[in-house]
Amino acid sequence: MTQQTWDEVGGLLPHDEFRAASEAIVGNIERVIEGKTATVRLALAVLLAEGHLLIEDVPGVGKTKLAKALARSIDCSVRRIQFTPDLLPSDVTGVSVYNQETHDFEFRPGAVFANLVVGDEINRASPKTQSALLECMEERQVTVDGVTYQLQTPFMVIATQNPIEMEGTYPLPEAQRDRFTARIAMGYPGPEAELAMLDGHGAVDPLQDLRPVSDAATVRRLIGHVRQVHVADAVKQYAIDLVTATRESPDLRLGASPRATLQLLRTARAVAALEGRDYVLPDDLQVLAVPVLAHRIIPTADAQLARRTTDAVVAELVHRLPLPHDRSRRSPYDTRPAPPNNGHGPYEPRRP
Amino acid sequence: MIGHRSLGFVAAAATLLAAAPLSTIFQRWTWLIEATLAVAVVAGVAALTRLVRAPLWGQILGMLAGLLLALTWIFPGGTEALLFLPTPATFAHFGELLSASAQDMRSYGVKVPDTEPLLFITVLGIGGVAVLVDVLAVGLRRPALAGLPMLAIYSVPVAVYVDSVPALPFAIGAAGYLWLLISDNVDRVRRFGRRFTGEGRDIDVWEASPLAAAGRRLAVLGVALAVALPLAVPGMTGGLLNSFNSGTGDGTGTGRPGQGSPSRIDLFAALSGQLNQTQVMDLVKVTTTDPDPFYLRLGVVDDLRPNGFQARPPTGQPANRTLPDPSERTARGVVQRTYRATVEVSKNLNMPMLPVYTEPVRTEDLSGAWLYDPNMQILFSNRDNSRGKRYAFDFVRSTYSPELLRQVRPLPSDHPIKRLTVTPAVRQVDALVKELVQGKQTEYDKVLAIYDHFSASNGFSYRVTTEEGSSGEEIVDFLTNKVGYCQQYAAAMAWLVRAAGIPARVAVGFTRGSSAEGNTYTLTNRNLHAWTEVYFDGMGWVPFDATPAYGVQGSTRSAWAPDVDAPEPAAPAPGASGAPAGVDPSTGAQQRDNADRDPDSGLSLGAGEQAPQAPVWPWWVAGGLALLLLLAFPALRRLALRRRRQASRRPARPAVSTAVDGAAPGDARMVVLGADEDRARADAHAAWDELLDTLVDYGVRVIGTETPRATADRLVRAELGENLTAGDAVRLLGRAEERARYAPQPLTGEQLHPALRAVRTELASRADRRTRLLAAVLPPSVLLRWRTGLADRSSSVVSTMSQSRYRLLRRWSPRRLLAGRATR
Repeated sequence: MTQQTWDEVGGLLPHDEFRAASEAIVGNIERVIEGKTATVRLALAVLLAEGHLLIEDVPGVGKTKLAKALARSIDCSVRRIQFTPDLLPSDVTGVSVYNQETHDFEFRPGAVFANLVVGDEINRASPKTQSALLECMEERQVTVDGVTYQLQTPFMVIATQNPIEMEGTYPLPEAQRDRFTARIAMGYPGPEAELAMLDGHGAVDPLQDLRPVSDAATVRRLIGHVRQVHVADAVKQYAIDLVTATRESPDLRLGASPRATLQLLRTARAVAALEGRDYVLPDDLQVLAVPVLAHRIIPTADAQLARRTTDAVVAELVHRLPLPHDRSRRSPYDTRPAPPNNGHGPYEPRRP
Repeated sequence: MIGHRSLGFVAAAATLLAAAPLSTIFQRWTWLIEATLAVAVVAGVAALTRLVRAPLWGQILGMLAGLLLALTWIFPGGTEALLFLPTPATFAHFGELLSASAQDMRSYGVKVPDTEPLLFITVLGIGGVAVLVDVLAVGLRRPALAGLPMLAIYSVPVAVYVDSVPALPFAIGAAGYLWLLISDNVDRVRRFGRRFTGEGRDIDVWEASPLAAAGRRLAVLGVALAVALPLAVPGMTGGLLNSFNSGTGDGTGTGRPGQGSPSRIDLFAALSGQLNQTQVMDLVKVTTTDPDPFYLRLGVVDDLRPNGFQARPPTGQPANRTLPDPSERTARGVVQRTYRATVEVSKNLNMPMLPVYTEPVRTEDLSGAWLYDPNMQILFSNRDNSRGKRYAFDFVRSTYSPELLRQVRPLPSDHPIKRLTVTPAVRQVDALVKELVQGKQTEYDKVLAIYDHFSASNGFSYRVTTEEGSSGEEIVDFLTNKVGYCQQYAAAMAWLVRAAGIPARVAVGFTRGSSAEGNTYTLTNRNLHAWTEVYFDGMGWVPFDATPAYGVQGSTRSAWAPDVDAPEPAAPAPGASGAPAGVDPSTGAQQRDNADRDPDSGLSLGAGEQAPQAPVWPWWVAGGLALLLLLAFPALRRLALRRRRQASRRPARPAVSTAVDGAAPGDARMVVLGADEDRARADAHAAWDELLDTLVDYGVRVIGTETPRATADRLVRAELGENLTAGDAVRLLGRAEERARYAPQPLTGEQLHPALRAVRTELASRADRRTRLLAAVLPPSVLLRWRTGLADRSSSVVSTMSQSRYRLLRRWSPRRLLAGRATR
């Protein structure tokens, strides 16, 4: 087990090399998940942004299949945790057991000690168990009995869950939701994709034949490339504007956290790199706003009564927020009043 | 209900106040007492009917009945039952009163006495108005409309008085109207509950309601417009400011014609006022036996002060006695003939003087109130005025020959008339006179030299809309500018002649006018005129008209003062020595014949056409050009903007430099030099701005939340359709802008200009004609930018002002000071 810390990754890759590696992974996954290119790319982007992925949808649309396909495509250590109501935190993080031979306690690593951790049906475990993931997801370390163990790079948790109104589930704590970089919904496949699925999956599961097309070292280099993608000041400002808008929106009780800003920009870098750009566009942020922000925020009771989902709220914010310009003068068509100096909008930030 | 009742009484009081203008019609105040009674009855009945909650028609009927009872009681015909109950005979009586009132209106002039029919119709009218006002203000809650019947009362004195109506009664009526409006509004607010007087407000902030602020702004704007607009419109010179001007210029102010004694009248002001009036009124109709009459004289201005010519109070003897015979004092050789004239003065001429020809010897149909001043040779009165007078007189017409005038000796210095040579010392005038009369031997030659000076060949021209006045500076101004009308010409010539030591004065009167039927001349306010009279020893006052003949309708010339602008070779050249042979009497005769033959033409001969009048068309052309320029300004501005952006849009040098470690050709990661990079960025921004402006011009929506890529995609999807070139072009522009904004390296070496042109062509071909025209002539992008700029600036000004006002009020608010004391 190589103990490589997550900071020791390479620099900028040549364009075609990055492209070849990323396309190989995407193509490999698509052999299993038909007609979901955007979702697959987003999942890969989250991996390259060093984040964690939450796949949320109704049962039977291929959540687990996507997670497993992604894990199998990369030749690295993969562990799977099936979250059940009786799962214990020590099952996740590991436990010290007494070794009678050495007359000492010995740490037995849990399921999180891997490059890719697939947490299936994460919301079926109790909040006690779920919170075992908190430290490792954010800090990439596990502390058991006062000893801290570093995790490897890449480290990614891919969790699947059913929407919480389904029976037999526990909602994820806010702190844990905030640790997931993006939440994606699989959605039903299109008619043609479903037909292709019937053809391909009818006899055998293609997942069994899936061979890894990449390894952990390559992924580390890809991550290193993504970190170098240029972000202009205007784009940074736009990210801040977006997050600030969620904090000031009258529809939201809790806005996005600074961690959300960070992860939004990181994911945007990954998306830009996957599209073959060496710079981030506001378009990337606009595309990512809903997957990255929507699962972290809490709507007000009024918005919930009005059946406004957080997805809709964020999408509307994106639609209304004007684009910042890195030039000094404002656009002549931007008729909105100039934002106040302290960055606070017309409303006070809400306190939950 | 209380509010209603009080509003009803306010309505009644406002009606009475609105009736105040009638006080200018009646001699006594009886009408007011009776009208008050009638209105009080109406208001009382209205209050009663409202107390019993009668419907609106019931109120109206009740008020009408009350008015009827009041009328019956005030104007008894002797047939009513119980003093105030009308009977059929009462209505017959009212009918008689009505027809009698119509007769009275015809027979009485203003300030009518208290006749019963007139009082009846007054009370009836005011009572009717009271009913209307009550119905409108209280019944229908439309007090603003109640102003109309009130205005109807005011229109009565306006209709009776021709010239003007005193302002005070109108102000009283307006105050009543305002009172009505205010009490209605107060009543309206009360219906919501307690009236809010401002107590309990936050004392530190004083915030004006936006409505009130808007009202104040509108009021300021309105006043500014009302003052500025009449100044800007060229025809409206008789305004408030102008009358101030003339008041200071003449030193006498504008005397009101027809009131006061003759000396108080400013003839000049009256003259210019009448000449400048747009309305043409007949003033005088004169019939004379003289086949070729000279001007009709009205008054004389002969008192020269430093601030100009003024009239002296005339003195004289009653005109209905025998007047002095001019033949006794004029030298031999002067041709004198006696004619007769009949004058009919219209109602529009309201002067304490009567127009006469020189020199009247006997008058008819004139009362003893009219006097004749033999020196000034005018008919005047200290009591009566000329309005509507008819009279006849015999007059002696003198004609002089130049030879005769040339023999006249200078006036002895002790002669009483010599005092009319006094002039204030004005250096330029004295120098000019000295130059003009140099070498002239006789008095007549001197006068003629001065007279000839006012010729078109010396650059003098006629315009009626000049600053009036005849003081020293104004004379110098006139002599320098050489533009003026009869007042300036007459005054200037009189001044110059006086400066030459010869007595002179200005006569004011009428020309022969432009409409004549046989020997009857109808003279209007446009025919008012002023000319110069020069005194020759033994000859008397000899008229000289220096005003250019083309400017004066019905102008006439005499043998001794020929038209200097006339083309006849016989006319003496201006400034020439004025040789006796040069003045041919036949010239004058011929001109007289012409004038006789064509009296309607008004303008004498062809002199007017040859006068060097400044042509008007250049002004029109210049104005049109200026207008065009103004209209074309947005388009020009758009063009300039496009040109500037194009100038910066020559593609930056294609990337010179080395690609980083073997990048593929499609890879845009190039290293370009710093200057080129900035340039490429600027170019991309300019191209994108131009694209946005083009979109605005062609009415395509520009969305502030869209990225360049999204904008380009939308354009390709929705606006450009299948045009692949334009689609590629707009994508290229979007890519360039996005690279310039967000990428470390901008896009270089791309032809943005043709791309831009392709997009514009495609957009233009898709737009309808109106949009295209608008984009070319009035580009919406420029207008939008101006508008937003203006809005930004004004809002910043407003915010600055409100901040400073807030600060000021915070510090100096009286409420705060008071409250601070109270709490302490």
